Amino acid sequence: MKKPFFSFLSSLKLTIILLIIIAVASILGTIIPQQYEGGESFRHLSPELVKVFNSLQLFDMYHSVWFIILMGLLSLNLIVCSLNRLPASWKLFSNIPSPDRRKPFENLPPESVILIEKDRNEVINSVENLLRRKYKKIRRKDADSITFFYGEKGAYSNFGVYIIHLSILIFITGAIIGSLLGFEAFVNIPEGESTNTVHLGRQKGVKKLDFTVRCDKFTVSFYDNGMPKEYRSNLSFLKNNNVILQGPLLVNHPITFNGIRFYQASYGSTPGGQAHITVNRENKEETTIKVKQKDSFYLKEKNAKVNIVRIEKNFMSMGPAVLIHIQNPEGTMRVWVFKRIEKIRDRIPGLFKKVPTFNPGRYKPYYFKLNRIDSNYYTGLQLSHDPGVVIVAIGSFFVILGLFITFFSSHKRLWIRVDDQEGKSRISVGATSNKDPVGLKRETEHLLRHFSSMG
Amino acid sequence: MIINTTILSWVTFIYFGSAIFYIFRMVTGKEFWGPLASVIAFIGLIAQTFGLILRWFESYKMGIGHAPLSNLYESLIFFSWTIVLLYLIIEWRIKSRNLGAFVVPFAFFSMAFASFSPNVNARIQPLIPALQSNWLISHVITCFFGYAALTIACGLGFMYLLKGLEKGERPRLFFRFLPGREIVDELTYHSVVIGFIFLTLGIITGSVWAYSAWGSYWSWDPKETWSLITWLIYAAMLHSRFVRGWRGKRMAIMSIIGFASVLFTYFGVNYLPGLHSYF
Repeated sequence: MKKPFFSFLSSLKLTIILLIIIAVASILGTIIPQQYEGGESFRHLSPELVKVFNSLQLFDMYHSVWFIILMGLLSLNLIVCSLNRLPASWKLFSNIPSPDRRKPFENLPPESVILIEKDRNEVINSVENLLRRKYKKIRRKDADSITFFYGEKGAYSNFGVYIIHLSILIFITGAIIGSLLGFEAFVNIPEGESTNTVHLGRQKGVKKLDFTVRCDKFTVSFYDNGMPKEYRSNLSFLKNNNVILQGPLLVNHPITFNGIRFYQASYGSTPGGQAHITVNRENKEETTIKVKQKDSFYLKEKNAKVNIVRIEKNFMSMGPAVLIHIQNPEGTMRVWVFKRIEKIRDRIPGLFKKVPTFNPGRYKPYYFKLNRIDSNYYTGLQLSHDPGVVIVAIGSFFVILGLFITFFSSHKRLWIRVDDQEGKSRISVGATSNKDPVGLKRETEHLLRHFSSMG
Repeated sequence: MIINTTILSWVTFIYFGSAIFYIFRMVTGKEFWGPLASVIAFIGLIAQTFGLILRWFESYKMGIGHAPLSNLYESLIFFSWTIVLLYLIIEWRIKSRNLGAFVVPFAFFSMAFASFSPNVNARIQPLIPALQSNWLISHVITCFFGYAALTIACGLGFMYLLKGLEKGERPRLFFRFLPGREIVDELTYHSVVIGFIFLTLGIITGSVWAYSAWGSYWSWDPKETWSLITWLIYAAMLHSRFVRGWRGKRMAIMSIIGFASVLFTYFGVNYLPGLHSYF
């Protein structure tokens, strides 16, 4: 008698219950926003609910204690179930049943018995030859005037299911190793700068790398229709101020350095890029100057100083603009210098009357124009170190192998009896298979056709 | 409108015709409609294959060449292509047209959704950086062959349940073309097995891709999670058959539940936040 607890652990009922709970929990996890997706989306929940969810670890559900316990129980159930059934499968695999069993020949359909006008010994020889060529574990038994054979193929098919179960345990092992020994982190590096400190993802806090990453350049390019085409960071990896590795990092093309994989995850621009402003005087002289925020330059003819107050990538949805303060002894004048002032003026009639500060010719006789603002990009890198990946890859291989063995192979067992019947040799073929009855039928038909062609 | 979308929207009508004829055949009990339905489905498949190749070709002419498997429109077209291809192979192998009325309509719905829904953009779009990967093709192909096999299993499930409505000794007109229950059950099982294997391959190719694009082979993104839920449903179905010996009606119901989960993995997930936003 098995203990009740053990039999519960090894029951399919527990498997089904666990699978349902895991499935329902997973559904919850896709509805409740998870912490690492950015915590802002659960602001609309009431504080009490947030408290309850927090205590149940619902915001980081897939790493919560109870989810891990569920996974552990599933693994345990899988192990116990498999161990329970393994001896029977092993017996099927290794045992060789006796050739003169009666059962296989009971209720044989008439087409499984054929008569051949040939000497029995000759028939026995050719049957044995064929069996030895195509089957394994051949056994022969000679009685008075009857000879029995046994042969089989595909005995390994009994293990397909165990290979699948094993591969699931391998997956779970790989995931545990990854979460214990690995880490995920992210870092933003502005162009031209370097760092060796990264922010950890789930574990929180920062991590110091034993090397330095430098972003030499970041570029983003677009298709004609405005969709992004390529994000590219030119990275350098340094140790003791020596560049060890250099290369472009693109989405789908990570770089591995010191066992850490770097991914192109995001990008952005830092405020205070360089603005290119053209100053025109009386439609004659024209000069272009490059300025940053808080810079200033002089308009000698009027003894005026121009201060760059703000540089905006997109000011009030009207595109790039720079705010300048023009100071001269009489006072200060504010002017917003736009890149596309003609378009804005066309859209809003009488614009300069309504908003004089938008007039690029407000400070006579000068005319200001913004050519462009250089972006100061930073690249957003994701880092990951996961020693469990190799194990998970092995698991993937085994799960595919196991599926193919389970569903596309079968353990076919064959009993053949040769005896005399009214001066002819009679061959009877009985066969069983653990699955795939159609394939078994095809196989015995093929065999019988072969036998009858010897006659 | 570019020529490939014109061809593909015609295919929608061709599949509609084929589905109608398969249903005619079943309802009237006259074999006459059968060959007509098959030939039309076959013509549709050829036209659709041509349309897909043309679309591929046109994308190269636009200078943004990629396989036509990269957005919702293209995936819907490919989905219906795999359904009809698999269905016609099965029809040819089992030499029976009974399944057509339950499967070809799905191919039509998918095409109709792609062609007529205002939310589905039929234009050839360039690949965004995340999709520029060799894993795109293998991931999409394995997933959609899996989805198609599971669609067929669902069609068989409906067929089985309809068969259950039959009363009396002599089969009435409507039911004349429904095959025996064991055959339907066996076919459901085989379709689920094929679908399950392709689904597994789809999840594996997807996680290999995720490992090179997102930094982790598994990040519990809603689509990943739902594909796992679908996988668990079919795993439970296969276990209950192998271990408990469940057959017939229960299998039919499970194949329909499983397909609902497939549909949610495919469409429903778009309404949840996640990384798979391009499909």
